[in-house]
Amino acid sequence: MTTTYEQGSAARSPSGAAVLTLTGVQKRYGGVRALRGVDFELQGGEVHAIVGENGAGKSTLIKIISGAETADEGSIVINGRELTAGSTTSALQAGIATVYQEPHLFGELTVAENLFIGREIRRRGIVDRAAQRVRVVELLERIGLAADLADVRAADLPVAEQQLVSIAKALSQDPVVLILDEPSAILTDREIETMFTAVRAMRDAGVAVIYISHRLDELAQITDRVTVLRDGAVVASRPTAEFSVRDVAELMVGHVLETRPMDRAPTAAEPALGVEHLTRTPKFADVSFTVRPGEIVALYGLIGCGAGDVIRALYGIAGADSGEVRVKGEVVSLGAPADAVAQGMSMLPANRKVQGVFGSKSIAFNISSANLHLLSRFGVWMDRSRERSVADDFIRRISIKAPGAGTTVSNLSGGNQQKVVLARQLVERPLILLLEEPTQGVDIGAKDEIHRIIVELADAGTAVLVVSTDLAEVQYLADRVLVMRSGSVSAEFGRGARQAELLAAAAGDDSAPDGATRDAAHDTGPAKGRH
Amino acid sequence: MSTDTTATAAKRPDTPSEPQPGRGRRLLDLILTERVALLAVLLVLVVVWFYVLGQQGYLVAPYDTDYLASALDTMVPLCLLALAELVVIVSGRGGIDLSVGSIVSLSGMAFGFMVGQWQWPVLPALVATVAVGAALGAINGLLIAYLGFPALIATLATFYAYGALALLMNNNAPISTKPIQDLHAITRAISIPLLGDSIPDLPLQVATFLLPVIVVVWLLVNRTVYGRKLYAVGTNDIAARFANIPVRRSRLLAYLVSGLLSGVVAVVTVAQFASARPDAGSVGNGMALPAITIAVLGGVAITGGVGRVAGVILAALLVVWLNAGILLAFEGSDGSQYQLFALGGLLILSALLNAYSTRRGRGGA
Amino acid sequence: MANLTTMLSRPSRRPVARAVEGQEIALILVLLALWTALSLGTDTFLTASNLSNLLYSVAPVALIGIGMTAVIVTGGIDVSVGSAAAVVMVVVAKLIRDGGAGLPAAVLVAVAVGLVLGSVNGVLISFGGIHPIIVTFGTLNLYRFLALRLFENKQVSGVPGTLSFFGGGDNSETLGIPNAWWLTMVAAALMWCYSRYWATGRHWYAIGNDVGAARLAGIRVHRRTIAAYAVTGLFVGLAAVVLIGTGGLVQQNAGVGLELRVIAAVVIGGTSILGGRGTVLGTLLGALLVGTVTSAITLLGWPSDATELFIGLFILVAVGVDLVRQRRRSAR
Repeated sequence: MTTTYEQGSAARSPSGAAVLTLTGVQKRYGGVRALRGVDFELQGGEVHAIVGENGAGKSTLIKIISGAETADEGSIVINGRELTAGSTTSALQAGIATVYQEPHLFGELTVAENLFIGREIRRRGIVDRAAQRVRVVELLERIGLAADLADVRAADLPVAEQQLVSIAKALSQDPVVLILDEPSAILTDREIETMFTAVRAMRDAGVAVIYISHRLDELAQITDRVTVLRDGAVVASRPTAEFSVRDVAELMVGHVLETRPMDRAPTAAEPALGVEHLTRTPKFADVSFTVRPGEIVALYGLIGCGAGDVIRALYGIAGADSGEVRVKGEVVSLGAPADAVAQGMSMLPANRKVQGVFGSKSIAFNISSANLHLLSRFGVWMDRSRERSVADDFIRRISIKAPGAGTTVSNLSGGNQQKVVLARQLVERPLILLLEEPTQGVDIGAKDEIHRIIVELADAGTAVLVVSTDLAEVQYLADRVLVMRSGSVSAEFGRGARQAELLAAAAGDDSAPDGATRDAAHDTGPAKGRH
Repeated sequence: MSTDTTATAAKRPDTPSEPQPGRGRRLLDLILTERVALLAVLLVLVVVWFYVLGQQGYLVAPYDTDYLASALDTMVPLCLLALAELVVIVSGRGGIDLSVGSIVSLSGMAFGFMVGQWQWPVLPALVATVAVGAALGAINGLLIAYLGFPALIATLATFYAYGALALLMNNNAPISTKPIQDLHAITRAISIPLLGDSIPDLPLQVATFLLPVIVVVWLLVNRTVYGRKLYAVGTNDIAARFANIPVRRSRLLAYLVSGLLSGVVAVVTVAQFASARPDAGSVGNGMALPAITIAVLGGVAITGGVGRVAGVILAALLVVWLNAGILLAFEGSDGSQYQLFALGGLLILSALLNAYSTRRGRGGA
Repeated sequence: MANLTTMLSRPSRRPVARAVEGQEIALILVLLALWTALSLGTDTFLTASNLSNLLYSVAPVALIGIGMTAVIVTGGIDVSVGSAAAVVMVVVAKLIRDGGAGLPAAVLVAVAVGLVLGSVNGVLISFGGIHPIIVTFGTLNLYRFLALRLFENKQVSGVPGTLSFFGGGDNSETLGIPNAWWLTMVAAALMWCYSRYWATGRHWYAIGNDVGAARLAGIRVHRRTIAAYAVTGLFVGLAAVVLIGTGGLVQQNAGVGLELRVIAAVVIGGTSILGGRGTVLGTLLGALLVGTVTSAITLLGWPSDATELFIGLFILVAVGVDLVRQRRRSAR
């Protein structure tokens, strides 16, 4: 039985006038068309969701509306006036406010100061605290926060409340259009409810809200209309009441040719990696799974599901409160990357710019950075000729497009940079390979190559664990997919699961999809008293 | 999420499709962006300029190779300390060492005690002094890498603490007993065997201390595993962690090396002045200041991960020979004043140049 | 799912941004403890002359520290203040000795020269885009050069007592407290008000927290940065006036090492070297602490070289305590 959205909360009709109209908006990045002729209409006093897979054009569209990017073609009209200059300031002046996923508050200033920084109410230079105070209290109450938060140092607030303050800050600018980018990603249930109350209040006051979220199960509670983007175009735009979670998932994923699962023989060997009841409050709880040599297991879920935290705990970057990890059957302790590496694990981090590359250094430097002892004599002296030949070898083997091993990595394209980081982790063929978002921001060609390398490694016996939010990638690579939601494994799929099923499971569709294995943990259910 | 474009191919200085910029222009670009090249050019300019001035009679004494060689005795401590700063600044996260002068004073006094009062033979005392310096540096490293103190703060504190200890050790009195005075012999000017007449006499410590240490430091940062770890940690310590590089240990070692080099400078200074002075490291504005200035002039990026030994050596030579020239060009104590002007001006100009070239989209030194 | 829902029911404590931060209270307590111990331990500490000497000697460091607090709060630093002080001192000393200038004119000139020197730093840092430590290392040398040129190779002697109102003698006190210290307190109070109540004062903290976000929020980062360094220069001018004081001799090595003392005072006072945090009150307390230690060592007959040992230890303790508190705060 598919979950249907109830008429209740979504029955409000918008107040009529189109506040924001996009017509024929197109945007290219180099040779790639991110948006191809998008028409979009936003009414005042409505909460309008924009959903779409990674790469569908969602973030590009938002960047154009918020002024961070300029459209190549098409028009953006807000309240009758055309928005021309591609700058966030002019968008702000036109009445478009954006709240991003990560709250960007000034930690040392109080909440009240944060709300008005740069736009203080002044009397001859001095901040008019009394007048601001009135506004601050009013804003906080609109959001549903306690008024006494006004004098609290922002850094002392839990992240979730900081997020709500960010929303209050956007509100303080009296926006016509408010864009909320994945607002619930870092919030717990109660805070989400609080946030919903705030959003509803804004809607009732006539603000037009654009709500971007992957959490399809939330849409029914808070949104009036849903627009689905796919491959840079709008595929559907209808009142929320007319959709079910499964419908939206199908539309997002589309009738694209489901990636043919590979014919990979299941292995019968003992698990290389065994995870038992791994818990780290509040990120993830009671996670258990195994990965056999030659197997590719994917941890899939939406932002905030905890998959990334699990894999980083396995590599020793962050700890776990309780639970056991076994490598080849033996319990191991993983307090630091050195421990993980000693057990034969290798990790490709998610954010290559921050966690992966040494941008100002050469390819050879980068590749050898994780293998210094291997590429040295007596562990002290660098063997530069061997370093060079290893680098050249990888450049050839995994087609890194660069003039040579001495090329500075920051000059390479994203895909090639990613290959360099991957190469670094593969100099010694690992027993267990951990990958987090292996092809994020990588072009198609490099993506395929990286997938090929991963499969080759698995065929040669490496146990592979992939954390990814890229559905097609998950579907292509994984022998088994473990869907994570709110910190626990909620479903397990074998090969042949459809993308829409995976997405629905991750987004909170409680129906029983075809071919899925239910985890015992799922039946106890997340304590979300919805509907 | 924008997909990646293949249009951002590797940027090369001259792509075949563009017309070649003129050779003069390319040379200018090289000089502006490669610090080592710029310093080499400036060095030549300075030497030639002062030589010409000397020939024309504008200088108090001739600016010739003999003079340049004798000026090298000030270069030894400066260059060594600048190399010490290179190592800690490269280690990143605001790395800097304000305490090198105080380490020189304190380990110098220790050396003074060992040789001057306890009658130790020179070689073991030398080793022990260098070890003392290393230990003092390791304390810095512990504070910074393991306890999380910002480097500026920790080394400011040890600058004060070590300096005070040096003064207190012998009641603010220098040690200049006979064994110490005998040490002066190791810093006299000598003629190089075989080449004796064709090149000027060099201060001995250049050969016995400076050159070997330069070689060792160069090998350390360019050829050893530790050197790689150092540059990796300074470039991106989060990526270094993922690459299983011991970040904290590498940083601690950087400060240990800095202290070690300061210990070497202590020995040279004691020998040079035939006296272990408790304020050896605090002459003028202190030794740390010029050392850091030379390191930055030599192309070490204050943000970490970038810096070449060659740059530091050229910068030290430039400053020392420029200072030497200025001393001859001006009368009385004007010379030492213009040295300050030269140092300050050079530093700001080179930093402006750096900022300018980064803005033009090229890499730094 | 119990783990995720425990967060919902936990009552969160609300620490409030107070007028006086925890670090400052600790410093006040330490100072009181020290003063009590010293008054009991020696008969000379709690005397009027000793205390006013103490306050007079602390005043220059505290004055410059007021400006330096703003600079460090914005995430920068200024190591050229010692050399800048020397420039102002030689200019003003010669002005009152050879030019016959009176007190008001001298103070005006001092402040003006200081402002210019500070603004040069500010402009180079904000528009030149160079790291503050490099710029101020450079100006440290340039300003020292300038000062030495102005000294013309000899100390300035025979400086009249035009500025003795701010000097260290018995007749430069009001209500038993040296005028120099009154000046410091007034300046500190003004700066404290500015950095708490004026929008542009609060902007310094925003810049120190996250300069990119500050720019996006519409804060004029360049102007505020230049202002911080300019104000420091202003206070350098005032400190120079105090240092000249009753006149007499102004030596060529004036101000050497002053910048490190100022930075030590600021840091002991709880200002974070990383920016975004810090108050003028803390700096005053830090300067007082350093001054007290100096005085104590003299009175207790300990070798005067021990002073700097204690300064170093205090820096470590103060910053260490602050580090621990920050870590505990963010571990929630």
